[in-house]
Amino acid sequence: MNHVLNITASNTPAVVERLLQVTRYRGYQLTGLQMTPRADSRSVAIKLSVSGDKPIHLLTSQLHKLYDVQQLELVSAELAVLSA
Amino acid sequence: MKGAELVLKVLQQHGVDTIFGYPGGAIMPIYDALYQSSVKHYLCRHEQGGAFSAIGYARASGKVGVCMATSGPGATNLITSLADAMLDSVPVVAITGQVSQAVMGSDAFQEIDVLGLSLAVTKHSFMVRSVEELAATLNEAFAIAQSGRPGPVLVDIPKDVQLADIDYQPEASTSVKPAPVATSLANAAKARALIAAAKKPIAYIGGGVHMAGAMGQLQQFLAANPMPSVTTLKAMGSVAKDNAHYLGMLGMHGTQAANLAVQQCDLLICLGARFDDRVTGNLQKFAPLAKVIHVDIDPAEINKVRFADAALLGDMQQILPAISAGTDCADWLSHCAQLKQQYGWRYDHPGERIYAPLMLKQLSERMPDNSIVCCDVGQHQMWVAQHMRFSHPRNHLSSGGLGTMGFGLPAAIGAKLARPQDTVIAVSGDGSFMMNVQELATIKRFRLPVKIVIVDNQRLGMVKQWQQLFFNERYSETNLSDNPDFVALAAAFAIPGHCITRKDEVESALEAMFTWPGPYLLHVCIDDKDNVWPLVPPGAANEEMITETKA
Ligand SMILES: Cc1ncc(C[n+]2csc(CCOP(=O)(O)OP(=O)(O)O)c2C)c(N)n1
Ligand SMILES: [Mg+2]
Repeated sequence: MNHVLNITASNTPAVVERLLQVTRYRGYQLTGLQMTPRADSRSVAIKLSVSGDKPIHLLTSQLHKLYDVQQLELVSAELAVLSA
Repeated sequence: MKGAELVLKVLQQHGVDTIFGYPGGAIMPIYDALYQSSVKHYLCRHEQGGAFSAIGYARASGKVGVCMATSGPGATNLITSLADAMLDSVPVVAITGQVSQAVMGSDAFQEIDVLGLSLAVTKHSFMVRSVEELAATLNEAFAIAQSGRPGPVLVDIPKDVQLADIDYQPEASTSVKPAPVATSLANAAKARALIAAAKKPIAYIGGGVHMAGAMGQLQQFLAANPMPSVTTLKAMGSVAKDNAHYLGMLGMHGTQAANLAVQQCDLLICLGARFDDRVTGNLQKFAPLAKVIHVDIDPAEINKVRFADAALLGDMQQILPAISAGTDCADWLSHCAQLKQQYGWRYDHPGERIYAPLMLKQLSERMPDNSIVCCDVGQHQMWVAQHMRFSHPRNHLSSGGLGTMGFGLPAAIGAKLARPQDTVIAVSGDGSFMMNVQELATIKRFRLPVKIVIVDNQRLGMVKQWQQLFFNERYSETNLSDNPDFVALAAAFAIPGHCITRKDEVESALEAMFTWPGPYLLHVCIDDKDNVWPLVPPGAANEEMITETKA
């Protein structure tokens, strides 16, 4: 199952590593990654595409806990398939 | 002032008067500032030991534990202990020195990517880039370590930041308070309905209850809603000693009454616990008839491994009174009381050799009120959990989630410094003791009156037990019969000790240990054949416990 997560996070040096580490450790595969620093460069918009057999809430709930993550929005799986 | 001095100022603002650490090149400016600081530094003899002492300090006191190490090998030596704090949700702030930013990224001497290493073993971590952000970063570290579900936070400080000058004016209340806990009682009515309707409810209590400061609310809840209760390893001591319906620890080495009752219950009220695999055994077969109420502070634990019919997130102190509904389950209570009676521990062990469960029961009965027991990992750890009683979880420090050998002795050092008025006992195994044995030097230096009990079976007993049961008695690398002379070893650190081998020596040996005013090592030799029972074999449901007679 494919999922797309739209994430707003603090623009800290390790923020992408943190997202990827949690994604890998919790058992999801990365299928796409896009990041754009916001104008003020204090935060960054990240689009994380993942696939995995486990329910996606097991990943989103762990990503939410990352201190750098400010907002996390799960785009529905169907949309993810359409946009793929 | 220099960044290094600022570090100590901020620690003091957070009420830190005790830190554990070990110096080295990249953290020398902070050690230089320590030289004239009123913050008391305890020199460990291995950074892993220092960080375990910080954990012991934090767990015994409820405060944040602080440890320090230099860059490179100093920082890597912290990793195991940070992982331990992570899995047991212990608030720790670790400060590491880093090479100067001018050489960072050049494989400089003792440079290692500590921020990268920290990702999997900390709740959060920082690399400080300028002295201007140093105070704010440290304040954030303390807030994160204590907020929500606590955990370890690492702050990596390059040497040039430590040496940089700053005009620091501490604000009146710099100490960032941990973020208040958002509590949702939306499902309280649902939980109350489940409790009121349950015929066989049971409370499954984890470390989250005492960490939320909800020990009082828990006793009130259990009094207003009489039901059997079980605890995890981390929650031992949560249920008041006079609660007749308490059944002990559940899980792999839990009591038969606890495991059978949980398997039979129709409502499992999980309070600050996380359905760890050492608790559930075969997850699909765990409490198969039960609806679940799950109360926790960490949203990620809800529905992680077991579906919750009603979940409540937030502050345990508020939630417990809100879900009180009154129970009516006299038959169930008497059934569980009968299980407890039927499967009570037996201490009538034949022969004159020392039987560790009985020895630990004697220790438990003899130790002063409010003593703190710090355990290592293995069979002796399970015997402590089974046969000793505690009046508070902060009196039983055991490495639960990570199961880290070498935890006990340094944790005892931290516990003793946190609560100098209370007796501290490290119960270790002959294998585990050797993993941080160098901390005897810390005990010697600071004359810490820690009591050390080594349960010596001349084996890596827990592994040996599994080899015996599940690997055709092929005892690969678990024989320690060439152990050092532990009493002589202690003597080398000016710690007196005594070795016992017979049951009839136990009482007087314990007496001598407690009467001696300083540190003391009691070497207790037991039979290498003794095993921990009951045991839920891997893959089995919790009612399929093996007992000594069946094995
Ligand atoms: C650091 C570490 N390495 C290995 C293990 C695996 N392990 C678990 S229990 C155990 C044996 C412990 O021996 P000892 O301390 O003598 O305790 P006993 O089981 O004999 O009571 C081992 C090797 C571990 N838990 N931690
Ligand atoms: Mg042993």
